[in-house]
Amino acid sequence: MDTVGMYNRERIIKSAAVGGIIVLCALIILKVDNILLSFILAFVISYLLAPVVNAAERTGISRKVAVAGLFLFLTALFATGIYLLLPVVTAQVSALRSELPHFIDGVSKLLITAETRINAILSGVYQLDVSATANRVLSGLSGQMFEDLPRYTSSSLAVLILAPFFAFFMVLDGQAAAKKILELVPNNLFEPALNLKHRMNAQLGGYIRARLLEAGIVCLVVWLGLAVIGFPYAVLLGTFAGLTNLIPYIGPIIGAVPAILMTLVTGASGLTVLAVVAVYTVAQLIDNFVIIPLVVARIVDLHPVVVVIVIIVGAQLAGIIGMIISIPVACILKLTAMAIYEHLVEFGN
Amino acid sequence: MTDYLWKNLFKRTPPEKALHAILRENILFEDLTSKQLRFVSNIVHLRKYSSNETIFRQGEIGVGMYIIVSGSVTISAQQANRGADKEAGKTIITRLGSGDFFGELALVEENGRRSATAEAAETTELIGFFKPDLLEILERNPLAGVKITLRLGEVLGRRLRETTERVSVLEEQLKRNRAE
Repeated sequence: MDTVGMYNRERIIKSAAVGGIIVLCALIILKVDNILLSFILAFVISYLLAPVVNAAERTGISRKVAVAGLFLFLTALFATGIYLLLPVVTAQVSALRSELPHFIDGVSKLLITAETRINAILSGVYQLDVSATANRVLSGLSGQMFEDLPRYTSSSLAVLILAPFFAFFMVLDGQAAAKKILELVPNNLFEPALNLKHRMNAQLGGYIRARLLEAGIVCLVVWLGLAVIGFPYAVLLGTFAGLTNLIPYIGPIIGAVPAILMTLVTGASGLTVLAVVAVYTVAQLIDNFVIIPLVVARIVDLHPVVVVIVIIVGAQLAGIIGMIISIPVACILKLTAMAIYEHLVEFGN
Repeated sequence: MTDYLWKNLFKRTPPEKALHAILRENILFEDLTSKQLRFVSNIVHLRKYSSNETIFRQGEIGVGMYIIVSGSVTISAQQANRGADKEAGKTIITRLGSGDFFGELALVEENGRRSATAEAAETTELIGFFKPDLLEILERNPLAGVKITLRLGEVLGRRLRETTERVSVLEEQLKRNRAE
């Protein structure tokens, strides 16, 4: 075989190997239980910890020692956190379980009242009838939620063990693994691929760290704010607000719904309702006027309309997880499209 | 004509050696300690090219530089006003051998375009050292990164001085031609 033929054959084999590895990894991640979530969480953890490990490495500590030390420290911190918070969380979950039927009953009554008033205003033009269906769905959902709790707990435990395990190796050997994969990229695509990988890493790392900072601050402000005004379930509601804050635009609203509903259902005083609204508003003000302009906006350069479309598509394809990961996925696709354009289209001209 | 641009001013003995030894002989990495060289060796990329295979093309976005481990590389440029006949406008600038390096301007440029085409003249092994690699070194081992960056500044400075001197000579030549 001549040199050109051998070269083309090698290039085809390399391209097929890269494609094969990507397809195989995608199949394993999508088909095996808990692997997708564990991988997403591991990526998040690795992006979060990489700067800390790099900082330790800069002082002269070897990467292995830095990674092992950091993971040991975090395990101890996590264990202490669980030890301190578990009794509080367990007590709040038990209390919520016993009080949930009461809340659902309250929500149903609220819905019926609202429905009656709206139907009176519409006066026969249109007959609204959603309270019965909503009541049925809410009752079913609440029962199912606690029935499924053991399954969710075991699944979460698997993810909580697998994700740090994957993250450990991602932080330790991630660069070496990426280098090995890049070795398989054909020569003519090597520079664009390396450049794309670098840009993706920088943007994803910045985005993930910024969003987690946002979620953490919202969680803390809501938790402390509700605790200060003496509102029940402060830990659970703060955690929920922090997690839902990861969903752009609609997340903060979803995060505030349980607390607002609770104030309405329990017939809390107007002052309490105002205080709860104030807590969520302060959290969002800090997020929108301090963290987003200073941190997030500099990282993701996507038009608001594109962001909304991307979130809707994410929700359609993969529910809540899809909504959370839709923005970083869109960033990756945008960078890839730009790299292809720069390499093939612009240069081709 | 533009041979001076590509002539390697820092060429050392070019035997085929291990990655570590080749790096040590390159001006960019000569100030590094053995430990720092081992660190850099784990970051750079070893690439193999067959005869006549293009390493990069003129006009492409450049990401970094290459050091020749073995084999040789032809550097050529396409003149802008030669129309569709690309072969006719192609000028071989220089041929580089083992130990030489090229493309280092891309390490400091933001989306800079390659000013010439590099092609393997025979089966060639290259060490690729790219901007993301330099940034990673600066992030994880700033002392090594600063040493490399200072040397890179020196290389680019020498290239600039050479170019300035050459432009002055050409201007003088142009003035003389006009006077005649």
